[in-house]
Amino acid sequence: MPGLKSIISRSPSIVTRKTGNEYVLVPIANNIADMTSVYTLNETGAFIWDQIDGKRSVEEIIILMTSEYEVGFETAREDVFEFVEKMGKYLIVV
Amino acid sequence: MFYPPSPQGGLERKMRSYNLNIAGYNIGFESLAGGPDFAPSERFLRNITQKKGEDILIRVHSGRLILDEKAERVFHAPYVEEINGVLIQNRADFWSVWKYRSDLFITTIFPLSASEKKATLKFSLTSTEWDLWVEGADSAIDPFEYPLDGLILYYLTVINGDILIHASGIVNNGKGYLFSGISGKGKSTMAKLWENSGAKVIHDDRLVLRNTGTGYRMYNTPVYNNDEPRDAPLNKIFIIEHGTTNKIIPVKGATAISLIMANCIQHHWGSEIIARLLGSVSIMSGVVPTAQLSFRPDRHVIDHILENE
Repeated sequence: MPGLKSIISRSPSIVTRKTGNEYVLVPIANNIADMTSVYTLNETGAFIWDQIDGKRSVEEIIILMTSEYEVGFETAREDVFEFVEKMGKYLIVV
Repeated sequence: MFYPPSPQGGLERKMRSYNLNIAGYNIGFESLAGGPDFAPSERFLRNITQKKGEDILIRVHSGRLILDEKAERVFHAPYVEEINGVLIQNRADFWSVWKYRSDLFITTIFPLSASEKKATLKFSLTSTEWDLWVEGADSAIDPFEYPLDGLILYYLTVINGDILIHASGIVNNGKGYLFSGISGKGKSTMAKLWENSGAKVIHDDRLVLRNTGTGYRMYNTPVYNNDEPRDAPLNKIFIIEHGTTNKIIPVKGATAISLIMANCIQHHWGSEIIARLLGSVSIMSGVVPTAQLSFRPDRHVIDHILENE
């Protein structure tokens, strides 16, 4: 599990498409798309996904979220860590 | 196209070139010098067209194409048969997709053929002229024989940004409805209900969806011997399942896209080919309304759909 100072990037084993404020994510396993595990990200999830660039730390993403959605650090921290936990298979901790 | 008279005075379906119109695609076949004669299967006869101007031209050779040893196998399909509702893998060596540089290759056997033919199709996602090598043919061949029919059609949809989907489709008073779901969700049941109410069935299992520039249309493909080319506008997509009541829940955005994607016919290997389909489905779902439909298999579901229009 990454910590606040961890830097995360997206795994190349996922194909994404942004539609409005949401994302559709199609995982690739053994070079084949896994259509039974297609993910959809709501607006908040899409915002977090957009911030994951292999340069920002988890803490920086949380701070960006507090200003984007005008929520406290603790609330944003819970959302970001929940996202990282759920999408962990498709994230690379640097 | 050339139909030589048979000794009995009828038409013998043996020729050196011909064109098929399937799902609005013009697919040309041409046997090169030394290549096999063609004898299209009965289920494709209604799709033979005199119209030239191929979307894709497939040149057919006799013999075997040796793949470069650096070619990478990117997809492999075993031969699976459904016997008494049970899926049984009969042969491990059915068809495979190979990649070498920008070229793609499909190698296949023909499990429904009496002869031990093998074939290799060389193609790419940017070329409209493909080559097919057939070895072991002891008489005239159908170059669109299963599984090449579905494979060629699938890659035509990829090239054109179209969609091949598990779905039944009907047209009622000029409006086309699509009912999509995996096996057992009620595609054929739904088609039958609409047919009994006077609607025209485009197909009960598999459709090609294409953006014509003036709207989306759905097309059948020849699966059964009596399939004639059919198409209709695509006005609404329903993702179906059996239920205890008739219920329609509109969906849009990422939810609609993911539901449609799950029912698309897939040979999806590699990120480029998946991204193409994801793009096509995204664009379509922004134009064609989509809903989840749970239904009881009787006439009332038709009334329910029409009342909610």
